[in-house]
Amino acid sequence: MRRHLGKICLGAICALFSLSALCGPMGFKDSWMSMGDVSPNWQEVFVNYAFTARDAAGASAVVMRSDDGIKTRQLTEATYTRLAKRWNMPEAQANIWFIGGVGNITGNDFSGSRTMSSPGVQVDYETTRIYASATSRLYRAQGLNHDFASARAGFSFFEVDYDQTQPWFILEVRRMRGLTDKTEVTPMLRLIHNRYFVEFGVNNASQARMNFMYIF
Amino acid sequence: MKKFLIALVMGIAAVSSMAANSVKVTVNGMVCSFCAQGIEKRLSKMDATKDVFVDLKKKTVAVEAKDGQTLDAKAISAEIVDAGYDVVKIEPVLQSVAEIRAELKARK
Repeated sequence: MRRHLGKICLGAICALFSLSALCGPMGFKDSWMSMGDVSPNWQEVFVNYAFTARDAAGASAVVMRSDDGIKTRQLTEATYTRLAKRWNMPEAQANIWFIGGVGNITGNDFSGSRTMSSPGVQVDYETTRIYASATSRLYRAQGLNHDFASARAGFSFFEVDYDQTQPWFILEVRRMRGLTDKTEVTPMLRLIHNRYFVEFGVNNASQARMNFMYIF
Repeated sequence: MKKFLIALVMGIAAVSSMAANSVKVTVNGMVCSFCAQGIEKRLSKMDATKDVFVDLKKKTVAVEAKDGQTLDAKAISAEIVDAGYDVVKIEPVLQSVAEIRAELKARK
């Protein structure tokens, strides 16, 4: 009973706080993972290599734009991802991840580039039918604060074998300081098949979004 | 009678040598296709591995040995644990991966 209650609490925590564009921020040991998140105000590409089952190093590039289209930011950084804790349950898996980056940011409302650091945490909970995650990440540089938080939750429409395409419905809510005062809400269709994963959706500002991930 | 016994023993030996040498592993935490990919890739790289099958719903990983080779259950278990999952049970079976796949699919 206590163990069952623990699982429920963990799932609830994951559902309440969530951030991250994708289901896990790194692949299996010795794999490369490429990810992308594309919308008019946010374009991100991210590649990392899992040099252990719990550690990955990589690089990312992000272009961010304010809602009115006036302010822009370009961030390139080296990243490190660490699986801090995993719970393997008979029908589920839950994780706590550390995600961090250090790089340079430029913008059209300040001169030169500044060093930005972006430490963050992600928690997630997943079964073959349910997914929930929460991410919180600081994006800080001198005079800049673009802290970011997101939550995602969803379900798969039906069970499949892992080598078949599985469709999911995912709802993402995310917010970033400094560039927008709005909370972005995006319902998405996610398709997972073997080593790739794509998501399509339209956010509450009627903008199209697309995410992808591929492990090789 | 002696000829019959010899034939019987030879027959049994032939059947058992034809039976596949596999292991079935029950794994906790294996819930997504990326988990399955990782486990499949690691186990496929092992020298004695002929075929691997992962069933997420049944939490099962099946590994079949190449002809004349023996699977190392401890090494298989270690690979799965190193990939980030928990091994609950590992058992030898005289079935091929194709037979295990068919059996598990028939149960769905």
